[in-house]
Amino acid sequence: MPRYGIAIDTTKCIGCHSCRVACQNQNSLESNETFNWIKHLDRGRYPSYNKQFIPLQCNHCENAPCQRVCPTGATYTSNEGVVLVNSKTCVGCKYCMEACPYKMRIIDHRRGIVEKCRLCIELVREGGVPACVTTCPTQVRVFGDLDDPNSAISRFIASTGAQPLRPDLGTLPKIFYKRS
Amino acid sequence: MQDSAWGWLIITYLFLAGAGSGAFIAAVACDLLAPDWSKALARAGSLVSGPLVVIGTLCLVLDLEAGFWQPWRQIYMVNNLRSMISWGFIILSIFIPIALVYAAALNEITFVGKLAQKYITIIEIIGSIFAVATATYTGVLIAVVNGVPFWNTPLMPVLFLASAVSTGLAAAMIVAAIIDVNTIKTLSNFALGHVIFLSVEALVLMLFVFMSLTRSTEAAASAGMLITGILSPYFWGLVVILGLVVPFILSIFEFLEYGKMPKSLVVGADILVLVGGMSIRALIIFSGTHPQIIS
Ligand code: SF4
Ligand code: SF4
Repeated sequence: MPRYGIAIDTTKCIGCHSCRVACQNQNSLESNETFNWIKHLDRGRYPSYNKQFIPLQCNHCENAPCQRVCPTGATYTSNEGVVLVNSKTCVGCKYCMEACPYKMRIIDHRRGIVEKCRLCIELVREGGVPACVTTCPTQVRVFGDLDDPNSAISRFIASTGAQPLRPDLGTLPKIFYKRS
Repeated sequence: MQDSAWGWLIITYLFLAGAGSGAFIAAVACDLLAPDWSKALARAGSLVSGPLVVIGTLCLVLDLEAGFWQPWRQIYMVNNLRSMISWGFIILSIFIPIALVYAAALNEITFVGKLAQKYITIIEIIGSIFAVATATYTGVLIAVVNGVPFWNTPLMPVLFLASAVSTGLAAAMIVAAIIDVNTIKTLSNFALGHVIFLSVEALVLMLFVFMSLTRSTEAAASAGMLITGILSPYFWGLVVILGLVVPFILSIFEFLEYGKMPKSLVVGADILVLVGGMSIRALIIFSGTHPQIIS
Protein backbone atom coordinates (compact mmCIF):
# COMPACT_ATOMS: atom_id res chain seq x y z
CA MET A 1 0.00 0.00 0.00
CA PRO A 2 1.20 3.54 -0.73
CA ARG A 3 1.79 6.14 1.95
CA TYR A 4 0.65 9.46 0.54
CA GLY A 5 1.95 12.88 1.38
CA ILE A 6 2.48 16.34 -0.09
CA ALA A 7 5.68 18.34 -0.29
CA ILE A 8 5.31 22.11 -0.44
CA ASP A 9 7.91 24.45 -1.90
CA THR A 10 7.15 27.64 0.01
CA THR A 11 9.78 29.55 -1.98
CA LYS A 12 7.46 29.35 -4.98
CA CYS A 13 4.20 30.20 -3.15
CA ILE A 14 2.76 33.58 -4.16
CA GLY A 15 -0.07 33.53 -1.61
CA CYS A 16 -2.84 33.49 -4.23
CA HIS A 17 -5.21 31.25 -2.20
CA SER A 18 -6.05 29.16 -5.29
CA CYS A 19 -5.51 25.93 -3.34
CA ARG A 20 -7.93 27.08 -0.67
CA VAL A 21 -10.62 27.93 -3.21
CA ALA A 22 -10.11 24.68 -5.14
CA CYS A 23 -10.39 22.77 -1.87
CA GLN A 24 -13.57 24.64 -0.88
CA ASN A 25 -15.15 23.75 -4.20
CA GLN A 26 -13.96 20.16 -4.11
CA ASN A 27 -15.36 19.65 -0.61
CA SER A 28 -18.50 21.85 -0.92
CA LEU A 29 -17.35 24.14 1.88
CA GLU A 30 -18.92 27.49 2.75
CA SER A 31 -16.78 30.54 2.02
CA ASN A 32 -15.87 30.88 5.70
CA GLU A 33 -14.91 27.20 6.08
CA THR A 34 -11.56 25.91 4.98
CA PHE A 35 -9.16 23.00 5.26
CA ASN A 36 -6.34 25.18 3.95
CA TRP A 37 -4.77 28.20 5.59
CA ILE A 38 -2.15 30.43 3.98
CA LYS A 39 -0.03 32.02 6.71
CA HIS A 40 2.04 35.11 6.07
CA LEU A 41 5.42 35.51 7.64
CA ASP A 42 7.26 38.82 7.57
CA ARG A 43 10.98 38.42 7.17
CA GLY A 44 13.86 40.85 7.40
CA ARG A 45 13.75 44.64 7.11
CA TYR A 46 13.97 47.17 4.34
CA PRO A 47 15.80 46.91 1.95
CA SER A 48 15.77 43.13 2.22
CA TYR A 49 12.26 42.78 3.59
CA ASN A 50 10.22 39.92 2.18
CA LYS A 51 7.04 38.05 2.89
CA GLN A 52 6.87 34.29 3.00
CA PHE A 53 3.63 32.40 2.41
CA ILE A 54 3.15 29.06 4.10
CA PRO A 55 0.14 26.93 3.14
CA LEU A 56 -1.12 24.86 6.08
CA GLN A 57 -3.41 21.86 6.19
CA CYS A 58 -3.82 18.59 8.10
CA ASN A 59 -0.45 16.84 8.19
CA HIS A 60 -1.89 13.31 8.11
CA CYS A 61 0.34 12.48 11.05
CA GLU A 62 1.65 8.95 11.25
CA ASN A 63 1.32 9.16 15.04
CA ALA A 64 -1.85 11.22 15.11
CA PRO A 65 -2.95 12.65 18.48
CA CYS A 66 -6.41 13.39 17.04
CA GLN A 67 -6.91 9.70 16.36
CA ARG A 68 -5.59 8.65 19.76
CA VAL A 69 -8.12 10.79 21.66
CA CYS A 70 -11.17 10.16 19.44
CA PRO A 71 -13.60 8.21 21.67
CA THR A 72 -15.77 6.88 18.84
CA GLY A 73 -12.99 5.75 16.53
CA ALA A 74 -14.48 8.12 13.92
CA THR A 75 -11.00 9.43 13.25
CA TYR A 76 -8.96 6.70 11.60
CA THR A 77 -6.03 6.22 9.27
CA SER A 78 -6.83 4.63 5.92
CA ASN A 79 -4.42 2.04 4.59
CA GLU A 80 -3.04 4.71 2.26
CA GLY A 81 -1.88 6.58 5.39
CA VAL A 82 -4.57 9.25 5.09
CA VAL A 83 -6.19 10.42 8.34
CA LEU A 84 -9.96 10.54 7.80
CA VAL A 85 -13.13 11.21 9.81
CA ASN A 86 -16.10 8.87 9.53
CA SER A 87 -19.09 11.20 9.26
CA LYS A 88 -21.48 8.49 10.42
CA THR A 89 -19.89 7.87 13.82
CA CYS A 90 -18.39 11.26 14.79
CA VAL A 91 -20.37 12.76 17.70
CA GLY A 92 -18.84 16.24 17.51
CA CYS A 93 -17.15 16.12 20.92
CA LYS A 94 -14.28 18.23 19.54
CA TYR A 95 -11.67 16.38 21.61
CA CYS A 96 -9.64 15.87 18.40
CA MET A 97 -9.68 19.62 17.72
CA GLU A 98 -8.11 20.23 21.13
CA ALA A 99 -5.61 17.40 20.66
CA CYS A 100 -4.29 18.42 17.22
CA PRO A 101 -1.15 20.45 17.95
CA TYR A 102 -1.41 22.03 14.49
CA LYS A 103 -5.06 23.09 15.02
CA MET A 104 -5.98 21.83 11.55
CA ARG A 105 -9.52 20.63 12.25
CA ILE A 106 -12.79 22.53 12.01
CA ILE A 107 -16.30 21.75 13.18
CA ASP A 108 -19.07 21.69 10.60
CA HIS A 109 -22.05 22.98 12.61
CA ARG A 110 -24.51 22.01 9.90
CA ARG A 111 -23.65 18.33 10.09
CA GLY A 112 -22.41 18.45 13.68
CA ILE A 113 -19.16 16.70 12.87
CA VAL A 114 -15.50 17.54 12.66
CA GLU A 115 -13.86 17.94 9.26
CA LYS A 116 -10.42 18.56 7.85
CA CYS A 117 -8.23 17.96 4.79
CA ARG A 118 -8.95 14.50 3.36
CA LEU A 119 -6.18 14.57 0.79
CA CYS A 120 -9.03 14.33 -1.77
CA ILE A 121 -9.00 10.61 -1.20
CA GLU A 122 -11.82 9.91 -3.72
CA LEU A 123 -9.83 11.59 -6.51
CA VAL A 124 -6.64 9.85 -5.45
CA ARG A 125 -8.29 6.42 -5.42
CA GLU A 126 -9.37 7.02 -9.01
CA GLY A 127 -5.77 7.74 -9.95
CA GLY A 128 -5.92 11.53 -9.62
CA VAL A 129 -4.20 13.97 -7.28
CA PRO A 130 -5.66 16.34 -4.67
CA ALA A 131 -7.40 19.48 -5.99
CA CYS A 132 -4.93 21.84 -4.29
CA VAL A 133 -2.06 20.15 -6.11
CA THR A 134 -3.66 20.34 -9.58
CA THR A 135 -4.79 23.92 -9.18
CA CYS A 136 -1.63 25.57 -7.90
CA PRO A 137 -0.50 27.99 -10.66
CA THR A 138 3.16 27.98 -9.56
CA GLN A 139 3.30 24.24 -8.87
CA VAL A 140 4.26 24.61 -5.26
CA ARG A 141 2.85 21.21 -4.35
CA VAL A 142 4.21 17.75 -5.09
CA PHE A 143 1.90 14.85 -4.29
CA GLY A 144 2.87 11.19 -4.17
CA ASP A 145 3.90 8.03 -2.38
CA LEU A 146 6.47 8.60 0.36
CA ASP A 147 7.36 4.90 0.42
CA ASP A 148 8.38 4.85 -3.25
CA PRO A 149 11.93 6.23 -3.48
CA ASN A 150 11.42 7.06 -7.15
CA SER A 151 8.22 9.07 -6.74
CA ALA A 152 8.35 12.79 -7.45
CA ILE A 153 7.73 13.59 -3.79
CA SER A 154 10.49 11.31 -2.49
CA ARG A 155 12.96 12.80 -4.95
CA PHE A 156 11.84 16.33 -4.04
CA ILE A 157 12.36 15.66 -0.34
CA ALA A 158 15.70 13.98 -0.95
CA SER A 159 17.02 16.81 -3.13
CA THR A 160 15.70 19.77 -1.10
CA GLY A 161 15.88 18.40 2.44
CA ALA A 162 12.24 19.42 2.98
CA GLN A 163 11.09 18.97 6.59
CA PRO A 164 7.71 18.69 8.32
CA LEU A 165 6.60 21.59 10.51
CA ARG A 166 7.64 21.17 14.16
CA PRO A 167 8.94 17.59 13.81
CA ASP A 168 9.89 17.86 17.50
CA LEU A 169 6.21 17.45 18.40
CA GLY A 170 6.65 13.79 17.49
CA THR A 171 3.49 13.32 15.43
CA LEU A 172 5.39 12.30 12.25
CA PRO A 173 3.61 14.55 9.72
CA LYS A 174 3.34 13.61 6.02
CA ILE A 175 3.28 17.19 4.71
CA PHE A 176 6.83 18.40 4.02
CA TYR A 177 8.02 21.97 3.55
CA LYS A 178 10.91 23.43 1.66
CA ARG A 179 11.62 26.76 3.38
CA SER A 180 14.18 29.38 2.59
CA MET B 1 -6.39 27.46 12.47
CA GLN B 2 -8.93 27.15 15.19
CA ASP B 3 -9.12 28.77 18.60
CA SER B 4 -10.10 26.63 21.57
CA ALA B 5 -12.90 24.26 20.60
CA TRP B 6 -14.13 23.91 24.16
CA GLY B 7 -15.93 26.60 26.12
CA TRP B 8 -18.26 27.19 29.04
CA LEU B 9 -20.22 23.93 28.73
CA ILE B 10 -17.08 21.84 29.13
CA ILE B 11 -15.82 24.12 31.91
CA THR B 12 -19.13 23.73 33.77
CA TYR B 13 -18.94 20.00 33.25
CA LEU B 14 -15.40 19.79 34.65
CA PHE B 15 -16.50 21.84 37.65
CA LEU B 16 -19.74 19.99 38.43
CA ALA B 17 -18.22 16.54 37.95
CA GLY B 18 -15.48 17.57 40.39
CA ALA B 19 -17.82 19.09 42.98
CA GLY B 20 -20.26 16.17 42.72
CA SER B 21 -17.62 13.48 43.17
CA GLY B 22 -16.00 15.53 45.94
CA ALA B 23 -19.36 15.77 47.74
CA PHE B 24 -19.62 11.98 47.57
CA ILE B 25 -16.17 11.60 49.12
CA ALA B 26 -17.08 14.12 51.84
CA ALA B 27 -20.33 12.26 52.57
CA VAL B 28 -18.61 8.88 52.84
CA ALA B 29 -15.88 10.32 55.05
CA CYS B 30 -18.50 11.79 57.41
CA ASP B 31 -20.59 8.67 57.48
CA LEU B 32 -17.70 6.32 58.17
CA LEU B 33 -15.28 8.31 60.24
CA ALA B 34 -17.16 10.96 62.17
CA PRO B 35 -19.59 10.51 65.03
CA ASP B 36 -23.32 11.07 65.02
CA TRP B 37 -23.33 14.85 64.79
CA SER B 38 -21.85 14.66 61.31
CA LYS B 39 -24.71 12.65 59.83
CA ALA B 40 -26.42 15.80 58.54
CA LEU B 41 -23.38 16.57 56.43
CA ALA B 42 -23.17 13.01 55.14
CA ARG B 43 -26.82 13.20 54.13
CA ALA B 44 -26.38 16.58 52.46
CA GLY B 45 -23.27 15.44 50.59
CA SER B 46 -24.96 12.33 49.28
CA LEU B 47 -28.04 14.32 48.23
CA VAL B 48 -26.09 16.85 46.21
CA SER B 49 -23.49 14.52 44.70
CA GLY B 50 -25.52 12.63 42.08
CA PRO B 51 -27.51 15.64 40.80
CA LEU B 52 -24.35 17.76 40.35
CA VAL B 53 -22.69 15.05 38.27
CA VAL B 54 -25.89 14.51 36.28
CA ILE B 55 -26.20 18.23 35.45
CA GLY B 56 -22.52 18.28 34.55
CA THR B 57 -22.93 15.31 32.24
CA LEU B 58 -25.90 17.04 30.58
CA CYS B 59 -23.60 19.99 29.82
CA LEU B 60 -21.15 17.56 28.26
CA VAL B 61 -23.88 16.05 26.08
CA LEU B 62 -25.17 19.52 25.14
CA ASP B 63 -21.68 20.35 23.89
CA LEU B 64 -21.79 17.42 21.46
CA GLU B 65 -23.07 18.24 18.03
CA ALA B 66 -24.06 15.22 15.90
CA GLY B 67 -24.04 13.14 19.11
CA PHE B 68 -26.63 15.50 20.60
CA TRP B 69 -29.01 15.67 17.63
CA GLN B 70 -28.63 11.97 16.90
CA PRO B 71 -28.21 10.57 20.43
CA TRP B 72 -27.86 6.96 19.24
CA ARG B 73 -24.41 7.94 18.02
CA GLN B 74 -23.35 8.10 21.68
CA ILE B 75 -23.05 4.32 21.80
CA TYR B 76 -19.88 4.72 19.73
CA MET B 77 -18.33 6.74 22.53
CA VAL B 78 -16.82 3.69 24.25
CA ASN B 79 -15.05 2.52 21.09
CA ASN B 80 -11.54 3.70 21.84
CA LEU B 81 -9.98 2.77 25.16
CA ARG B 82 -7.01 5.00 24.40
CA SER B 83 -9.39 7.97 24.63
CA MET B 84 -10.14 9.52 28.02
CA ILE B 85 -13.66 10.36 26.81
CA SER B 86 -14.37 6.64 26.42
CA TRP B 87 -13.10 6.07 29.96
CA GLY B 88 -15.16 9.00 31.20
CA PHE B 89 -18.26 7.54 29.58
CA ILE B 90 -17.68 4.25 31.44
CA ILE B 91 -16.78 5.87 34.78
CA LEU B 92 -19.80 8.21 34.71
CA SER B 93 -22.19 5.41 33.74
CA ILE B 94 -21.14 3.55 36.86
CA PHE B 95 -20.70 6.46 39.27
CA ILE B 96 -24.00 8.27 38.61
CA PRO B 97 -26.28 5.35 39.59
CA ILE B 98 -24.14 4.59 42.66
CA ALA B 99 -24.32 8.23 43.79
CA LEU B 100 -28.11 8.32 43.35
CA VAL B 101 -28.59 5.04 45.23
CA TYR B 102 -26.30 6.27 48.01
CA ALA B 103 -28.43 9.41 48.40
CA ALA B 104 -31.51 7.20 48.62
CA ALA B 105 -29.85 5.02 51.26
CA LEU B 106 -28.62 7.77 53.57
CA ASN B 107 -31.87 9.72 53.32
CA GLU B 108 -34.12 6.66 53.40
CA ILE B 109 -35.83 7.56 50.15
CA THR B 110 -38.29 4.88 48.95
CA PHE B 111 -37.76 1.15 49.12
CA VAL B 112 -34.60 1.47 47.04
CA GLY B 113 -33.07 3.39 49.92
CA LYS B 114 -34.17 0.85 52.48
CA LEU B 115 -32.77 -1.98 50.41
CA ALA B 116 -29.53 -0.15 49.73
CA GLN B 117 -29.00 0.50 53.43
CA LYS B 118 -28.20 -3.17 53.89
CA TYR B 119 -25.26 -2.85 51.51
CA ILE B 120 -24.19 0.60 52.60
CA THR B 121 -20.52 -0.23 53.24
CA ILE B 122 -20.09 -1.84 49.84
CA ILE B 123 -21.77 1.15 48.18
CA GLU B 124 -19.46 3.48 50.08
CA ILE B 125 -16.29 1.62 49.12
CA ILE B 126 -17.08 1.13 45.42
CA GLY B 127 -18.66 4.58 45.19
CA SER B 128 -15.56 6.23 46.67
CA ILE B 129 -13.34 4.51 44.14
CA PHE B 130 -15.49 5.78 41.29
CA ALA B 131 -15.77 9.24 42.87
CA VAL B 132 -11.98 9.51 42.92
CA ALA B 133 -11.92 8.15 39.36
CA THR B 134 -14.42 10.79 38.21
CA ALA B 135 -12.55 13.66 39.80
CA THR B 136 -9.17 12.45 38.56
CA TYR B 137 -10.13 11.53 35.00
CA THR B 138 -11.45 15.05 34.34
CA GLY B 139 -7.87 16.19 34.94
CA VAL B 140 -6.37 13.40 32.82
CA LEU B 141 -8.88 14.29 30.06
CA ILE B 142 -7.17 17.58 29.47
CA ALA B 143 -3.67 16.55 30.63
CA VAL B 144 -3.27 14.24 27.60
CA VAL B 145 -4.19 16.90 25.05
CA ASN B 146 -1.09 17.34 22.83
CA GLY B 147 -2.51 20.50 21.30
CA VAL B 148 -2.11 22.47 24.55
CA PRO B 149 1.31 22.05 26.22
CA PHE B 150 0.17 23.98 29.34
CA TRP B 151 -2.18 21.12 30.16
CA ASN B 152 0.35 18.30 29.64
CA THR B 153 1.39 17.71 33.21
CA PRO B 154 0.67 14.95 35.75
CA LEU B 155 -0.06 17.75 38.23
CA MET B 156 -3.31 18.44 36.37
CA PRO B 157 -5.24 15.41 37.70
CA VAL B 158 -3.80 16.08 41.17
CA LEU B 159 -5.03 19.67 41.01
CA PHE B 160 -8.45 18.54 39.80
CA LEU B 161 -8.73 15.98 42.61
CA ALA B 162 -7.70 18.52 45.25
CA SER B 163 -10.19 21.03 43.89
CA ALA B 164 -12.91 18.37 43.71
CA VAL B 165 -12.49 17.55 47.39
CA SER B 166 -12.61 21.17 48.55
CA THR B 167 -15.52 22.15 46.27
CA GLY B 168 -17.34 18.92 47.17
CA LEU B 169 -17.06 19.65 50.89
CA ALA B 170 -18.26 23.21 50.24
CA ALA B 171 -21.28 22.00 48.24
CA ALA B 172 -22.15 19.51 50.99
CA MET B 173 -21.88 22.20 53.69
CA ILE B 174 -24.14 24.60 51.79
CA VAL B 175 -26.80 21.92 51.40
CA ALA B 176 -26.44 20.89 55.05
CA ALA B 177 -27.05 24.49 56.10
CA ILE B 178 -30.13 24.63 53.89
CA ILE B 179 -31.78 21.35 54.89
CA ASP B 180 -30.98 21.58 58.59
CA VAL B 181 -30.52 25.03 60.11
CA ASN B 182 -29.30 23.59 63.39
CA THR B 183 -26.26 22.03 61.82
CA ILE B 184 -24.60 25.40 61.60
CA LYS B 185 -22.79 24.72 64.86
CA THR B 186 -21.62 21.29 63.84
CA LEU B 187 -20.45 22.65 60.51
CA SER B 188 -17.65 24.33 62.41
CA ASN B 189 -16.17 20.89 62.88
CA PHE B 190 -15.57 20.74 59.18
CA ALA B 191 -13.96 24.13 58.90
CA LEU B 192 -10.70 22.37 59.67
CA GLY B 193 -11.33 20.19 56.61
CA HIS B 194 -11.56 23.32 54.50
CA VAL B 195 -8.33 24.67 55.97
CA ILE B 196 -6.49 21.46 55.07
CA PHE B 197 -7.98 20.92 51.61
CA LEU B 198 -7.61 24.56 50.58
CA SER B 199 -3.94 24.45 51.62
CA VAL B 200 -3.33 21.33 49.56
CA GLU B 201 -5.11 22.87 46.59
CA ALA B 202 -3.14 26.10 46.90
CA LEU B 203 0.12 24.16 47.03
CA VAL B 204 -0.68 22.07 43.95
CA LEU B 205 -1.92 25.15 42.08
CA MET B 206 1.30 26.99 42.88
CA LEU B 207 3.44 24.06 41.71
CA PHE B 208 1.39 23.72 38.53
CA VAL B 209 1.47 27.38 37.53
CA PHE B 210 5.05 28.17 38.46
CA MET B 211 6.56 24.96 37.12
CA SER B 212 4.80 25.69 33.84
CA LEU B 213 7.00 28.74 33.45
CA THR B 214 9.94 26.46 32.66
CA ARG B 215 8.21 23.50 30.98
CA SER B 216 7.94 24.84 27.43
CA THR B 217 7.51 28.14 25.63
CA GLU B 218 3.79 27.55 25.18
CA ALA B 219 3.21 26.46 28.79
CA ALA B 220 5.14 29.50 29.95
CA ALA B 221 2.99 31.74 27.75
CA SER B 222 -0.16 30.27 29.31
CA ALA B 223 1.16 30.57 32.86
CA GLY B 224 2.24 34.13 32.04
CA MET B 225 -1.32 34.99 31.00
CA LEU B 226 -2.46 33.92 34.46
CA ILE B 227 0.30 35.48 36.56
CA THR B 228 0.81 38.83 34.89
CA GLY B 229 -1.04 38.75 31.59
CA ILE B 230 -4.51 39.36 30.30
CA LEU B 231 -6.19 36.83 32.62
CA SER B 232 -4.27 37.85 35.75
CA PRO B 233 -7.08 39.96 37.32
CA TYR B 234 -9.30 36.88 37.25
CA PHE B 235 -6.57 34.54 38.41
CA TRP B 236 -5.49 36.62 41.40
CA GLY B 237 -8.95 38.01 42.15
CA LEU B 238 -11.30 35.06 41.65
CA VAL B 239 -9.05 32.05 42.17
CA VAL B 240 -6.40 33.14 44.64
CA ILE B 241 -8.04 35.82 46.80
CA LEU B 242 -11.77 35.00 46.68
CA GLY B 243 -11.42 31.27 46.05
CA LEU B 244 -8.53 30.37 48.36
CA VAL B 245 -7.34 33.12 50.74
CA VAL B 246 -10.68 34.51 51.95
CA PRO B 247 -12.35 31.12 52.59
CA PHE B 248 -9.12 29.92 54.21
CA ILE B 249 -9.18 32.81 56.70
CA LEU B 250 -12.94 32.50 57.27
CA SER B 251 -12.56 28.77 57.92
CA ILE B 252 -9.86 29.38 60.52
CA PHE B 253 -12.15 31.84 62.36
CA GLU B 254 -15.05 29.44 61.96
CA PHE B 255 -13.02 26.74 63.64
CA LEU B 256 -11.78 29.01 66.43
CA GLU B 257 -15.13 30.64 67.14
CA TYR B 258 -16.76 27.23 67.03
CA GLY B 259 -20.39 27.65 66.15
CA LYS B 260 -20.61 31.35 66.93
CA MET B 261 -19.85 32.57 63.46
CA PRO B 262 -22.83 34.07 61.59
CA LYS B 263 -24.40 31.63 59.21
CA SER B 264 -23.97 34.01 56.31
CA LEU B 265 -20.19 33.93 56.73
CA VAL B 266 -20.08 30.13 57.03
CA VAL B 267 -22.11 29.65 53.86
CA GLY B 268 -20.35 32.60 52.25
CA ALA B 269 -16.98 30.90 52.64
CA ASP B 270 -18.37 27.78 50.99
CA ILE B 271 -19.82 29.75 48.08
CA LEU B 272 -16.43 31.39 47.56
CA VAL B 273 -14.76 27.97 47.40
CA LEU B 274 -17.20 27.04 44.62
CA VAL B 275 -16.52 30.31 42.78
CA GLY B 276 -12.79 29.56 43.00
CA GLY B 277 -13.27 25.99 41.73
CA MET B 278 -15.27 27.13 38.71
CA SER B 279 -12.85 29.98 37.96
CA ILE B 280 -9.71 27.87 38.03
CA ARG B 281 -11.18 25.49 35.49
CA ALA B 282 -12.33 28.31 33.24
CA LEU B 283 -8.90 29.94 33.40
CA ILE B 284 -7.08 26.68 32.65
CA ILE B 285 -9.22 26.18 29.54
CA PHE B 286 -9.03 29.79 28.35
CA SER B 287 -5.28 30.16 28.92
CA GLY B 288 -4.47 27.08 26.82
CA THR B 289 -2.19 28.13 23.97
CA HIS B 290 -1.24 25.80 21.16
CA PRO B 291 2.28 25.29 19.78
CA GLN B 292 3.60 27.91 17.44
CA ILE B 293 3.93 25.87 14.26
CA ILE B 294 5.68 28.29 11.93
CA SER B 295 8.50 30.71 12.58
S1 SF4 C 1 -2.36 17.54 11.67
FE1 SF4 C 1 -3.80 17.41 13.37
S2 SF4 C 1 -5.69 16.67 12.46
FE2 SF4 C 1 -4.06 16.21 11.01
S3 SF4 C 1 -3.40 14.10 11.54
FE3 SF4 C 1 -2.05 15.53 12.63
S4 SF4 C 1 -3.03 15.73 14.65
FE4 SF4 C 1 -4.58 14.89 13.28
S1 SF4 D 1 -15.33 15.24 17.28
FE1 SF4 D 1 -15.68 13.34 16.11
S2 SF4 D 1 -13.69 12.84 15.18
FE2 SF4 D 1 -13.32 14.36 16.81
S3 SF4 D 1 -12.82 13.17 18.64
FE3 SF4 D 1 -15.02 13.56 18.73
S4 SF4 D 1 -15.97 11.79 17.73
FE4 SF4 D 1 -13.79 11.76 17.15
